[in-house]
Amino acid sequence: MKNFSRFTLLSLLFLYLFFGNCIVGNFSSVYAQDDWKQEYSSVCAKTQNAMILTPEELKSYIDRCDKLLALINELEGEQAATEKKVYTKRVKMCRELYQFALEYKEHK
Amino acid sequence: MAPIQKLLSAFIIALTVTVSASAADYSHYLRHIPPAENFGQVVLDNYSHKAGVLPVTFDHWLHRAKFTCRLCHIDIGFAMKAEMTEISAADNMSGYYCGACHDGKRVFDGRNIFGSCAENYTEDKGKRCARCHSSAEAEERKYDYKSFSEKLPKLPGNLIDWEKAESEGKVKLTDFLEGVSFKREPLKAQDDFTIKIRSWDVIFSHRKHTVWNGCELCHPMIFPSTKRGTTKYSMFQIMMKGEYCGVCHTSVAFSVWLCAKCHITLDE
Repeated sequence: MKNFSRFTLLSLLFLYLFFGNCIVGNFSSVYAQDDWKQEYSSVCAKTQNAMILTPEELKSYIDRCDKLLALINELEGEQAATEKKVYTKRVKMCRELYQFALEYKEHK
Repeated sequence: MAPIQKLLSAFIIALTVTVSASAADYSHYLRHIPPAENFGQVVLDNYSHKAGVLPVTFDHWLHRAKFTCRLCHIDIGFAMKAEMTEISAADNMSGYYCGACHDGKRVFDGRNIFGSCAENYTEDKGKRCARCHSSAEAEERKYDYKSFSEKLPKLPGNLIDWEKAESEGKVKLTDFLEGVSFKREPLKAQDDFTIKIRSWDVIFSHRKHTVWNGCELCHPMIFPSTKRGTTKYSMFQIMMKGEYCGVCHTSVAFSVWLCAKCHITLDE
């Protein structure tokens, strides 16, 4: 009985580690795939208010844009060329506006 | 600014003022404005000819009546200069650029928006290509300027007065495209300001410009200066080179030749 339990537990552990990892792995890769798009929406959603953000906030957004651009540059897959072209331009527009707002505030 | 440009600027201003005793009389300027049906027309030929099809002729007036500048030039990502976007059929088929709306599935005003590009198509479906890949007068096009703009308020030169059309509820512009746009915080428009230009000041309205645009459409690409008063705008750059205000106001928004729309003191 004791051996059986141990065997069952080990089997369950193996199944969990093998399939669980596959499932979690898949989820995480799907999530990672969309993650940059969420980050893009989050970063660029603030452009409307660029002029009322503090210099620290603007610097943080610029930094996030740079990280995002690096991520986009590493995209792979069937649509990578198009996605890189589209999103690089969009993120650059956000980044340049934040930079513009930052310089405006520093000149003031 | 080069002396020749200074001279030309002075000439344009002199001409503008001399001819216009009354700013409301635009008859002398109208010859400078392209026919209204061609105003804002963009021809795209990055890849068309190479692919054996006619270039795309894009009419701003048709799309501008339905969508904000922000939606197409920020969310979808069309560049502000013709052919700078480098749209390919593959991009469209992947649901980007024209294909963001023209995917054959989206419904607008109760009608299916025709799909933009296809890898394989029948002869009949090929006719659909000509809705974009054709000259503006081609019969495959479903809209013509005259009937399209018939009920819309007009500016001199038969140009559509978009501002009035929107305030009268004659156009309702879509600003959000599911799957493409993202929710933004409401825009807090910056204050309007005056640009001192001898006796013909320009009052720039941030409010009016931000109704359809986003900040990043103009700054820093079109207006890069971060310190007010440091950029010297010349009418030569604006009218002849299509810079600054001229980026939109020589092609899509009301013509720069309608002086009193910006130089409001001319009307007083």
